[in-house]
Amino acid sequence: MKARIFISFGILFLFVLTSGGCIGGQQKPQGFSGVTAYEGDLYLGSMDGRVIAVDPSTRSEVWSLTFTMPSKGMSCGSSSTSAYIYSTPLVINGMVCVGIYNGKVLMINPSARSQNLDFPQARSGEWIFPRTDDVIGPVVGSQVEVNNTIFVCSSDGRVYALDITYGDEKWKSEHLGSKLWITPVVKEETIYVSTFEGYIYTLSAENGSLLPWEFKSEEGFVSSPALYEDIIFVGSFDRNLYAVKIGDDEPLWTVSGGDWFWSTPVVKDGVVYAGCLDGKLYAIDSKTGNSLWEFNTRDFIEYDRIVSSPIFVGDLLVVACESGEMYVLSSTDGVLMDAISIGHPVSGSLCTMDGIIYVRAQDNSLYAVDVEKGKISWELALTVE
Amino acid sequence: MPNPWNLIIQDPIINGLIAISSILPKEIEFGLAIIILTIIVRLILTPVTLRQLKSTKAMQDMQPKIQELQKKYGKNKQKLQQEMMKLYKEAGVNPLGCMWPMLIQFPVWIGLYQSIMKALATTPENLLDLSKHLYSGQIISRALPLNSHFLWLDLSKPDTTLILAILVGGSMWVQQKMTTAPAADSSQQSTNTMMQVMMPFMFGIICIMMPSGLPLFWLASTLIGIATQYFVTGGWGYLKKPSSSTQLESRGKGKRIRYR
Repeated sequence: MKARIFISFGILFLFVLTSGGCIGGQQKPQGFSGVTAYEGDLYLGSMDGRVIAVDPSTRSEVWSLTFTMPSKGMSCGSSSTSAYIYSTPLVINGMVCVGIYNGKVLMINPSARSQNLDFPQARSGEWIFPRTDDVIGPVVGSQVEVNNTIFVCSSDGRVYALDITYGDEKWKSEHLGSKLWITPVVKEETIYVSTFEGYIYTLSAENGSLLPWEFKSEEGFVSSPALYEDIIFVGSFDRNLYAVKIGDDEPLWTVSGGDWFWSTPVVKDGVVYAGCLDGKLYAIDSKTGNSLWEFNTRDFIEYDRIVSSPIFVGDLLVVACESGEMYVLSSTDGVLMDAISIGHPVSGSLCTMDGIIYVRAQDNSLYAVDVEKGKISWELALTVE
Repeated sequence: MPNPWNLIIQDPIINGLIAISSILPKEIEFGLAIIILTIIVRLILTPVTLRQLKSTKAMQDMQPKIQELQKKYGKNKQKLQQEMMKLYKEAGVNPLGCMWPMLIQFPVWIGLYQSIMKALATTPENLLDLSKHLYSGQIISRALPLNSHFLWLDLSKPDTTLILAILVGGSMWVQQKMTTAPAADSSQQSTNTMMQVMMPFMFGIICIMMPSGLPLFWLASTLIGIATQYFVTGGWGYLKKPSSSTQLESRGKGKRIRYR
């Protein structure tokens, strides 16, 4: 009988442990916010729920603002936990806009934050949306600003248009899918949204109504869309990269990868640069879908994956990997020029300022990487002691 | 180097769940897939389960003899232990025989549970992680992402209606009641009673906090367990029989009356 009691409670204990994310089951969310540079300062979200401004000249935090969210389940923590931040801050006229996984969108005035005033300071142009205790569903993608309107997608499956000055809701779209974890594309009064259900929708930026053209694929879309000229590029759950010409019912072309094209493709001068979870960076002709070159990170690190989008530094293309390796490539032929090891996984988007690449790695540190010298210039731990 | 746990247990279960989901109606795909996979896994584990049930049944059948020994050697623990071991040996029963099959099944249940949670991919990290476990093929890619809604439940979130918690707690109580043999001495009986109430209660509480995909799996698994038990051991077991403490109490009352 004692053995039975012991085993029963042992099973229960292990279930509780595993269900809380302590030893497996689910991977603990951490957020993978990217970095934005604006007028000499850097803005990013940390893994401890803070939106942070960093002065690269002093290599120190200028200000930070902490956000929390209710914790779920029998996890190892308390009932409130640090909010996860996945979206990359957007800076508009010196104001910092960021969406949080707790279902809020914020407009932050760096000047008010430097004075450590209570948030939000409405007189300083700060706001929080929704103002009440309501939430719009976790925000994973980044925000886009066009004509004084902020566009943001939410896990409740809707696109929201917010007034840039007061944070008022101008409109919200109808329910477009189970959850929208993407950054929308806005061009000429039209919003382009890809969904997990395999749709590309077009919406009016004016009122959020659905426009006639939509594209439907058998498989869902996993990445945010990228728009170049009149072609949308988006990664799918079927491990293909789709090129869809606006107005067409069939894809212009598809290119197969060994896994999902998770990150948003980057398009420059008619070439699509798409990072894939199979560890390869694909350079593809945007019109024909012909492969121009491939760079395989798994030639260097086994089972490596490309989670964040590549970035241009002059003519060089830089791609960071889940292993923490950063590769500097010639954008014309994909030849490896240099490799720099950060040593910690990189999932968020990179940014560049004055030839330096800034990246927040999953050790919750900000790294400044000098591409020319091929080394890390400095790093800043973002964890609060 | 692939992780053997993922390779042998978790990845086949995850892909199985998704493959089953792909052939089911979208509205109920994942909830039904959990139930179907639970049934499949229980069918695969039938030989082990039957062995466990037979051991349990044998132990149950020996209860009158054990109770007699307990009454006889209650005060002499060492002698009681010796006599009980002798009894087990004579009957060809291993007292831990019902425990080993349970332990063998345990990794499978953990794998099934982890797979459910992984397949739901409730956060971006989980979705990213899910891709590591997937086999290539249209059946898998077309089912993604899975619809987490099933009946009134969002399988990725706790069930706030408490219905699932009550169902899980209730069914576990029934299953425990069916299998737990009444004890002769009152302290052991009180331990039994505590176990019969506390375990379902604790599982019920956990159900309130867990994403409801897990309680759904528990419920399906427990109901299958009850059904198997019913057909294999031939009835409701100790659920219908009066507990021995009640018998003893009534006997005691009789004695007291006689003495008066």
